[in-house]
Amino acid sequence: MKQTAESIRERFMKIGIDVPVEDIESRLDELIKKFKVPSNEAQRSVTNYFLKKYSIPKNEFYVRQAEPQLTKIVDIVENGQWANLNAKVVQLWENTHESISQVGLLGDETGIIKFTIWKNAELPLLEQGESYLLRSVVVGEYNGRFQVQFNKNSSAEKLTEPVIMGGGDFTPVAREAELRNIADLSGNQWATIRGKVVQLWENSHESIEQAGLIGDETGVIKFTNWASSELPVMEEGKSYMLKNVVVSEWNGKAQVQLNRSSSIEELDEDIEVRTSMFTYFGAMVDIQTGSGLIKRCPECKRALVKGACAEHGKVKGEYDLRIKAVLDAGTSTQDALINRELTEELSGISLDSAIAMAADALDPGVVQDKLKHELVGRYYTVTGHKLDRYILVESIIPSTSLDRELLDQMLSEHLAEQEVE
Amino acid sequence: MPGFFREPARRVFAKELKDSNLTSKDENDQYAPQYLLTPTGANVNRIFIVGTLIEKEDIGSDSEYWRGRVSDPTGSFLIYAGQYQPEAAQFLAECEIPAFVAVIGKTSTYTTDDGNVLTSIRSESIQQVDELTRNLWVLDTAKQTLERIRAVEAQEDPNSKLAKEHYSIDTEIYREMVKKSLETLKDNT
Repeated sequence: MKQTAESIRERFMKIGIDVPVEDIESRLDELIKKFKVPSNEAQRSVTNYFLKKYSIPKNEFYVRQAEPQLTKIVDIVENGQWANLNAKVVQLWENTHESISQVGLLGDETGIIKFTIWKNAELPLLEQGESYLLRSVVVGEYNGRFQVQFNKNSSAEKLTEPVIMGGGDFTPVAREAELRNIADLSGNQWATIRGKVVQLWENSHESIEQAGLIGDETGVIKFTNWASSELPVMEEGKSYMLKNVVVSEWNGKAQVQLNRSSSIEELDEDIEVRTSMFTYFGAMVDIQTGSGLIKRCPECKRALVKGACAEHGKVKGEYDLRIKAVLDAGTSTQDALINRELTEELSGISLDSAIAMAADALDPGVVQDKLKHELVGRYYTVTGHKLDRYILVESIIPSTSLDRELLDQMLSEHLAEQEVE
Repeated sequence: MPGFFREPARRVFAKELKDSNLTSKDENDQYAPQYLLTPTGANVNRIFIVGTLIEKEDIGSDSEYWRGRVSDPTGSFLIYAGQYQPEAAQFLAECEIPAFVAVIGKTSTYTTDDGNVLTSIRSESIQQVDELTRNLWVLDTAKQTLERIRAVEAQEDPNSKLAKEHYSIDTEIYREMVKKSLETLKDNT
């Protein structure tokens, strides 16, 4: 307590006021011992008391603190602690929330730490690579890690001398993720992969630039290239090197996402993709609503419901033909999505004739009915990639002959058992 | 997908369905599906049959209510379609008989005054198909029935055990049924 009292006295001495140390001590003593006030609160309260007594404006007093106590990043160990740092802005991240002005990493010779500058702190923007004296930042804890946050009381002053980083310069570009096989990818890591774009999907959301499947010799994985990553688009059937992609897991399956740190390089070679194709044999037992002649949003290619897109509202749709089928093997069922090309081939109904049929009947539902008549109740073998509960059908073959071999085999096995008895 | 599960359409010959009389349903849930356990241990809610539509009749009094009879190599199924199955009812109203048809529907049972259980199928969908599809179905159903017979003999799963306990039937009867069905395919060559 004696020490606390001394430090308060020293601070007042600096502005030319000699406060008797006994006065400070007795006030501190009363607060801490009698009123059980925590010592840092008591210190502040006592300081404020004397500021008032000598009518010193609070702002003036605190700003006049000439040399701030500097904290090293490695010493940030307490949630709620206030600190002053000499640090370099190592990296600025993409802003994820409107109430945040800037977010990124700060570093000094002892370590790096995440920082967040809130909009309401009203601070000028920090520049990546520059060093600053950062006053009155608050230490917070999130997901078990410390970070510093800037608020209205914080300030940033650019330093002419750059802060030297510990352990060499930490620069994100210098770190390139390891090249990995697609089959070995699992959640929450950075990776570099090379593969062939097996399939590009209809875009389901405007924030997505491209999504689809990419494969190498070991397997196939879903990829998402976000519009915000500002990367070039890829073409189906071409091979690429995707550097610094993030592997995440969804519904127990790994997928890769491209962001601003990622890059796409087209490769000259043609990568052979190990097909993780899925084949299913069964009877088509249903064609679900949303099959037949449908309209899609011209923006995002989503199927329209009652002429409206879930994302873009009322739009002038583009006609398409597809089948959402249910195949059934007797012990399991499988949903299958059949695209326009295969639907036309399978049913003999072209998109144009489907449009004509619908116009004739004043009802697009006739196309779906016609498909049901033609296809339901028959046996098919479908092959394609599996996505969630659907097979994205790449080939669908109607059964055109009885499996004589199976028939003979079943009969002979059966008869054999009869003879034994 | 959690929360939703589509009942597979079981493959059962007419004779076996006719012999079935053990129904079960989760009593706590009025929307729970009803199942019919067959003598070879198929737990049927939805069923897929392909056969020859040999009779049809509108038995409704106020609105149309169609009953049809579909035969397979072992016997025949009774199928129904009323106002709540408009597509199937329309098919039965318009079709010519006899015809090869594929029927997807749900089994239902009716207990007569003297305690007999009658089984029938409420049609969800009826489509006209060709003879090949009918033959493919016979082969498919034969294969799946044989697999179930093996499971009952080996007492592999709860359904097999329950079937054996309830029906105490010689599985040889059903082996014979499968064999006869397969032989009809042989004759077609």
